[in-house]
Amino acid sequence: MKKAKIISAVVMSGLLSIATGHASSIKIGFNVPLTGFAAADGKSALNGAELAVEQANAAGGINGDSIVLVVYDDQASPKEAVPIAQKLIEKDEVVAAISGSYSGSTRAAAGIFQEAGVPYIAAYAVHPDITRAGNYVFRTSFVGEVQGRAGAKLIGETLGAKKVSVITLKNDFGKSLAAGLKQAASNYGITIVSEYEYGIKDRQFGPIVSKVKSDKPDAIYATGYFFTAGPLVSQLRAAGITVPIIGQEGYDSQKFIDIAGPAAEGTIITTSLNRDSASSETKNFIREFESKTGNKADMVAASAHTAVKVIVAAMRQSGSTDKAALRNAISATSVVAATGTISFNALGEVRKDVQVQIVKDGNWHEHSVISDSKLLAPPNE
Amino acid sequence: MLYLELFIQGLVQGSIYALIALGLTLVYGLLRILHVAHAALFTLGGYIGVIVTNATGSFTLAMLVAMLVVGFAGMLMYKLAYEPLLSQPPYVSLIASIALFIASEEIFRIAFGPYGLSYQIPPLQGHIELFSGFYLKYAEILVMGLSTVLMIALAWLSMRTRTGVAWRATVTDPDMARAFGVKIQNVRYLNFFIGSSFAAAAGVLVALLNNLVEPTMGSVASYKALAIIVLGGLGSIRGTLIASLLLGVLESFGTIYIGHLLDRDAIAFAFLILVLMIRPQGLMGGKL
Repeated sequence: MKKAKIISAVVMSGLLSIATGHASSIKIGFNVPLTGFAAADGKSALNGAELAVEQANAAGGINGDSIVLVVYDDQASPKEAVPIAQKLIEKDEVVAAISGSYSGSTRAAAGIFQEAGVPYIAAYAVHPDITRAGNYVFRTSFVGEVQGRAGAKLIGETLGAKKVSVITLKNDFGKSLAAGLKQAASNYGITIVSEYEYGIKDRQFGPIVSKVKSDKPDAIYATGYFFTAGPLVSQLRAAGITVPIIGQEGYDSQKFIDIAGPAAEGTIITTSLNRDSASSETKNFIREFESKTGNKADMVAASAHTAVKVIVAAMRQSGSTDKAALRNAISATSVVAATGTISFNALGEVRKDVQVQIVKDGNWHEHSVISDSKLLAPPNE
Repeated sequence: MLYLELFIQGLVQGSIYALIALGLTLVYGLLRILHVAHAALFTLGGYIGVIVTNATGSFTLAMLVAMLVVGFAGMLMYKLAYEPLLSQPPYVSLIASIALFIASEEIFRIAFGPYGLSYQIPPLQGHIELFSGFYLKYAEILVMGLSTVLMIALAWLSMRTRTGVAWRATVTDPDMARAFGVKIQNVRYLNFFIGSSFAAAAGVLVALLNNLVEPTMGSVASYKALAIIVLGGLGSIRGTLIASLLLGVLESFGTIYIGHLLDRDAIAFAFLILVLMIRPQGLMGGKL
């Protein structure tokens, strides 16, 4: 009888501690490409998010409860993202989720989270339809079109270029940026003299480079990721093209500079991370990211870090993990993060300045800031 | 002048395709296997090229090491993956090949990281100006030059040496060749060695042109090389070479002039469909 009591006591306390373990951790879902063509950005984003979770837990978590990041590899594929979203909601019962992935998979997952009433933040995916999934979906970085419009102001006003050749990556990301540029081009006196497209697997741009050279533009607006932009910029410069090349946050990584080498010097991009920022938030993030991972910080890591910060701030604010209350708290949030001061409009789009960075002496540095709130107004519906 | 540049770029791209597709044709010609995993050897060559150049500073050494190591890797692939399946229907080795290729992409990512590798000090970055405004990069000259040299060496090997004759004999009629004392096993090894080392050369050259090697860099090559060997006529080396260069030039002009209608890869496949409709055995294929 005594033995049975002891055994049952041990079993009970075991169960209790497991139950307590469950109760004292708050789960945030995270879908990110860890394999496949987007694995490089995915790894960076994961590191950024993990850093933010570590920092939040070190600061006491949420009223003593620790935060756990539940990570699944979505391969940047909508096909993978949908079952992952369902798993996060039903099996892992996350209180909120973040997409560290590209637009294709984020769009697919957003609808699932909206329907289940789980707050979902897209860290850096740019397609406008993502937030249109509903009021539970937010985005901490610019919609493609907004960044494109900022590019138009940068090219037409700041750089004074009139004739622009556009080289577009054929996916949600590239196309929405180019669309934004074209929308605002005429406001800044820009004529698009030619436009070319390429696929995400292309690394050899010889024909496009030759044709652009013969077009003789004043500037080149090229959309892409560091693994396409690196070779592209290197090949453009090797062909003797000297006009400014303007990119966007897809270039925002030290890898771009590693690939393009000296050809990267002078490349200008619109992005969210200012390496020379005076903000202590940004400076801390850059320093801690580098010491944690040994790699220099980039935009995707900073964006994922920001998204986690927003959720943590909202949870502390709302004082509960009730999803509807959390959604309201996120919607009303205004928090200073690595990528700027984050606050959302009615659609869940972020309102913040566009950072312009330039490659100088082999590193990204501040070039200018674009603060035109009318130009940068994100869509409201 | 633009047209000349586009044409030269087409030849450069075509030379790379030729180096890759040749290995595929050699394997098909000898064993009737569609060696999709060949693209994994291309990627491996690229990685070795970058790693050895960064470690030793010598691009020439890197090229030699890459071709040698990948040549042996190809032989190993044959020994472990294809030889046991030779008695099975051809789709079995095709499935094994595809599986090997998919696994290789992830193995590269696990071994070398997802970010890709670049040359620390990229070799051959200069260019010469042939005439006003027409630049030709040293790297581009190397691609065309090296491919030509390798093809000539291969032709000499297969036409002028005993080994080459034995090889051709085995392709034409293995039983007869065996009767003449040819060691079939050695011929197969040689076949894989040469095809794989050419793919490695292509990998090193592509790494040079782009200054980037990634785990997934073989994915386009894997299916495009298949399209090229079908286009050229399965098993025909001459056909493969012509198809490669032709496709390179076609893509070069196509991406500029019909790029808004058709994706670059779509151009390649549209052309393949067109040719097959008119000539189902491919450009230089024998009777079906």
